[in-house]
Amino acid sequence: MAAAPASPALRAAKSCKKQRTVKRQTGIYTYQEPPHSNSEDDAGEEKAESHDPEQIFQNIQYQKEIMSNIRCRPWPMRQKLRALRQAKEIVLKYEGRLTRTRGYQAAGAELWKKFLRLAYNFVVIFIPWEMRIKKIESHFGSGVASYFIFLRWLFGINIVLTIMTGAFVVLPELLAGAPFGSTLSKTIPKEHIASAQDLDTIWSLGGYLQYSVLFYGYYGRDRKIGKAGYRLPLAYFLVGMAVFAYSFIILLKKMAKNSRMSLASASDENYTFCWRLFCAWDYLIGNPEAAESKAAAIVNSIREAILEEQEKKKSKNLAVTISLRIIANILVLLSLAGSIYIIYFVVDRSQRLERTKKELTLWEKNEVSVVVSLITMIAPSAFELVAALEMYHPRTTLRFQLARVLVLYLGNLYSLIIALLDKVDSMSVTDSDVNNDASNSTTSLATNTLSKDDNLTLPNVQIQRNGFVMSEEHRTQGLTDSLVNQTISFNTQNPQDQCWETYVGQEMLKLSIIDMIFTVASILLIDFFRGLCVRYLSDCWCWDLESKFPEYGEFKIAENVLHLVYNQGMIWMGAFFSPCLPAFNVLKLIGLMYLRSWAVLTCNVPHQQVFRASRSNNFYLAMLLFMLFLCMLPTIFAIARYKPSLSCGPFSGQEKIYDIVSETIQNDFPTWFNTVITYISSPVVVLPALLLLFMLIYYLQSIARSLKFTNNQLRMKIQTERTEDKKKVVQMAVARIQNLDANDKRPEQETDIISQESSVRSSTPRKNGSVLNFESPVSKGTRIQTISQSVPQAVPATDVVRPANATPTTSTSLTPAPSVSSVQKPRNDHITNRYPSVVHRSASELCKTKPYTPVTFKKHTEDVHSDPLFRKAIRQVNSDALGAGAPVFLGCRPYATRYFLVNENESRKKSLRSTSRLQRHFRKEEPGDIIELYPRHIRRYVVRTPHQMYSPHPSEDEEDEEELEKEFMNRSHRPRSLSDLRPASRFYIGDRADGHILMSKDLARVHYKSWDDGFELDLDRPPYAYKKVHLNYPEPRVKPKSKQKLEQSLTESDSISIESSSDPQNSSNDQYIQVIHTKDKYPKTGAKLTKKKSKNSIDLSMPEPSELVCSNV
Amino acid sequence: RLKNPLLFEQEQLFLPVWQICRFWLHGRYHEMAPNVVPMDYTKDPDVKLPMQLIINMPELKENPFKERIVESFSEDGEGSLSFNDFVDMFSVLSEMAPRELKAIYAFKIYDFNTDNFICKADLEKTLNKLTREELTAEEITLVCEKVIEEADMDGDGKLGFADFENMISKAPDFLRI
Repeated sequence: MAAAPASPALRAAKSCKKQRTVKRQTGIYTYQEPPHSNSEDDAGEEKAESHDPEQIFQNIQYQKEIMSNIRCRPWPMRQKLRALRQAKEIVLKYEGRLTRTRGYQAAGAELWKKFLRLAYNFVVIFIPWEMRIKKIESHFGSGVASYFIFLRWLFGINIVLTIMTGAFVVLPELLAGAPFGSTLSKTIPKEHIASAQDLDTIWSLGGYLQYSVLFYGYYGRDRKIGKAGYRLPLAYFLVGMAVFAYSFIILLKKMAKNSRMSLASASDENYTFCWRLFCAWDYLIGNPEAAESKAAAIVNSIREAILEEQEKKKSKNLAVTISLRIIANILVLLSLAGSIYIIYFVVDRSQRLERTKKELTLWEKNEVSVVVSLITMIAPSAFELVAALEMYHPRTTLRFQLARVLVLYLGNLYSLIIALLDKVDSMSVTDSDVNNDASNSTTSLATNTLSKDDNLTLPNVQIQRNGFVMSEEHRTQGLTDSLVNQTISFNTQNPQDQCWETYVGQEMLKLSIIDMIFTVASILLIDFFRGLCVRYLSDCWCWDLESKFPEYGEFKIAENVLHLVYNQGMIWMGAFFSPCLPAFNVLKLIGLMYLRSWAVLTCNVPHQQVFRASRSNNFYLAMLLFMLFLCMLPTIFAIARYKPSLSCGPFSGQEKIYDIVSETIQNDFPTWFNTVITYISSPVVVLPALLLLFMLIYYLQSIARSLKFTNNQLRMKIQTERTEDKKKVVQMAVARIQNLDANDKRPEQETDIISQESSVRSSTPRKNGSVLNFESPVSKGTRIQTISQSVPQAVPATDVVRPANATPTTSTSLTPAPSVSSVQKPRNDHITNRYPSVVHRSASELCKTKPYTPVTFKKHTEDVHSDPLFRKAIRQVNSDALGAGAPVFLGCRPYATRYFLVNENESRKKSLRSTSRLQRHFRKEEPGDIIELYPRHIRRYVVRTPHQMYSPHPSEDEEDEEELEKEFMNRSHRPRSLSDLRPASRFYIGDRADGHILMSKDLARVHYKSWDDGFELDLDRPPYAYKKVHLNYPEPRVKPKSKQKLEQSLTESDSISIESSSDPQNSSNDQYIQVIHTKDKYPKTGAKLTKKKSKNSIDLSMPEPSELVCSNV
Repeated sequence: RLKNPLLFEQEQLFLPVWQICRFWLHGRYHEMAPNVVPMDYTKDPDVKLPMQLIINMPELKENPFKERIVESFSEDGEGSLSFNDFVDMFSVLSEMAPRELKAIYAFKIYDFNTDNFICKADLEKTLNKLTREELTAEEITLVCEKVIEEADMDGDGKLGFADFENMISKAPDFLRI
């Protein structure tokens, strides 16, 4: 919008540069994009004026398309601006003409789009920590940043969870629920009220905290609260489930998105070195230190790759590595077992201490949790050391490491939850059960219970501690008997304390807090103080602290990400029992984000080993999903298995927690709904539904499998095609080499020929050559290989032929015929030799032109590309081979250019001639033709000689390996086909000018058609075409005489060429095209030659080049 | 202040809005040569900054290919950037630009001699820049051979764009250039 007023000014300012830009544009268009340059746009405008709304609409659509994807085009900005403005103008100009509704629709869509963009931009501004992450990226690369991005993503999830629980559970309870102290479950028992505000109590989440909205126990059991009748218990249950559901959905969605993104790169193909070279640099790095270490890392990785490459050749000592790996795994298992044993030992000890001592010190109280946290900190490092033994690829090592750490963390969490559930088990047992349990338990029980009874006098805090300790203990062993004792003590002490849900929630929250403390401590200790020491002590130490032992800390992405996963697991586990846990986690994550980013920027160094856990990497997410599932299990189990506490919580008094749903349905919904539900939940419906689900899963899986299969097949196909391409290229290379061969022999021949040949002939031989070469490479593959010369040389040599031809024409323009007869024989002798050479040359051309063709396909850009080559070649020729004077030069030039333009086009004709002759000579298929042709040949030896010379070779080839050649020819020719066709048509046009226009047109069409058609048509056509050709032929001569006619013919031909051009494109896909083509044209060329010779072979030489040039221009 | 001269709209660019907001980028451009670059762009002055200034930007400073990056975005191929080119560069290098576009420019960047092929000489230069010339000559030749062997589909001994794109599109790491 702001652009509108300014655009005229800009345009005016840019008008001076317009010419330049236009040029650029065209160039660029040809280079990459299908055409839509200015001129075309303009044309589109004009068209649009006159045509119906549908076309206008289409034009507008087209312009809009340009607008929408303009930023994806690799143009310079100036051009983009231009194109965009132009497209907009057109759209503006013509949109009004359309029907009103369409305009409104478009306007509405536009508005909506703008609004969306604005909204998106608005949101983008508020992405938290974007700049911070960018800064970290610039220092440490994308790997470290991915940790923070992951953290931010988790933060987002937790915000949503917090909102869910906060809005639907916590807030209603606070606003409408019974106030604190109003019921038994919401008041602190009298015994504890004295100590309820002690730091000790608060620390262990007892006292006031325990009786707050933090935990399950506080929520009232009234079915409806407030004036509006908010069903809190139902909401509590549903939100609890929704937390899991949301987490699952968001995770799976993210994973699906990522996998879609990384699908393209999912292939087995390996470009080790390429990737290490082209994808190594992290373009986000902007910090010199980081750049240095990155460079070092790249050097390492490249050296590694080289080493690997070299070691591939050696036979690896498998036994050693395998045994080492086994040892490493044993070590890991040992350390896992060791950590478990240590935990067990500590728990046991703390229990003993508790029993014997009345007052525990702070250390003794927190012993267990500290030890557990220490183990979780140290064990990963130990695993890392062990992993060095295994000698895996770094990436594999990392995965192993992550898996092991994950197992460790999971072990911790699971032992905790199992212990807790055990406790819940015993807590929910009735008094009578307690007695039974006690009797069942071991003999030590009695003493334990006694000691417990002593403990009963202790304040509540103490008991809580015990409980925690117990849980720790259970983690490792599950000493149920002591638990039972514990529960006995609880039971006897106070029914109010029996709220197991609150207890579980407390434990989870406590764990989360301790985890946070340890994270902070470890960041400070391991990163910050270490960094300080290293920096300031290294001067006065006996070794270099910075580079040797302690070094600076590295940011361990994998471990840290795992820690995040672990942390999130705790949240999921406890969220049902402590609705405020997500809120706490949000705070924790915010703190972590700031602390980590600060620590990373101040005391870490970018690390050497690069693990690119990019955004599209599903590995972290998979771990998170795994964690989510495993954390959901215990909660679901508890909900499904245990009876809710009697005296606290929203579900007190129910048999099972989930009864709330059925109860609500029963009481508050109409009866019909109830019956429907009962039907639906009856096995009659559930079982088939389940079956259906299974079937669906199976079906989808099989579809996925088949898709994978087809995917693989397609890939295979591509691969084979590529290899075929490669083969083709190799063949071309061989052809080039052959070319050199030919060059050696050529000079002699040429000298002989020069005087006699006309320019026309010269052009024809070449063309023949080009045509031939397609065939020859294949047929003479064996022979070709033996010859070894460089390709560049080959080109000049081939060029030499042309200039040679040209020179005579210029000098002795009209008198080719006289000497022809005498010269002919030598030529024929040489023919075999020459032919290959010509062929090779063309092959080389092919090779060169080929790369361009795909790009320039539709346009005649080939000419542009090919021209320079040809000129070069020509110049060389002039200088070295012939040594002719200025005249030669001149003659050569036009010729060369013409050659180019025409060459590819004409090549076919000439090739046709040559092939046709060959056929006549050797093939039995067309005996009649042979007879006819022969006489002509003799007469017009001038023209003919070249053909003959060329022909023998191809014919032999054909006999030997017809099919192979054909295929080869077709393929190789493909790219060119377009260009070939067009010139051909023009050529004929000139002929037509004399009066056979129609015929020529027909011919051209026939040719094209035949091209598209199969072989069968060819067989039929040759004679047909033949005759026509005869008629047409005289005209070429005429052209030179009258240039006006030529021009006419050109214009006519243009239209034809347009028609034909479309065909060639199609045909280019067709592999058999060329063979057919050659046959069809064959007769023509022959006819032409014959007629030319008969009338006057003279005139052709000079005028032709000029004509051709003109036509091309 | 600027009179809305920098009329870039998001349709053209892959930049977040705070970078497009016309002052930010122009500010960056302006601060490199305060006395050359005018603040008023309404008259579309033809101002170009030389490569030397641009490669000293913190974003590019440490990049081993900074010269090539700037060159491939400059309209004249010499490395001097007009403001339009400058914006273009930021847009393509931003993380929102699609892979295909990046591949095109990456190819340009690695094509040191601008012959539309990545040949051995280009590869050697790339390697030397990337590793700060720490590899020995044998290592370099080995790596170059390997690279061409891996990625060269048409067997012409150098990498065309098709080869390059094919290779790069399969790279798991080619996310950010």
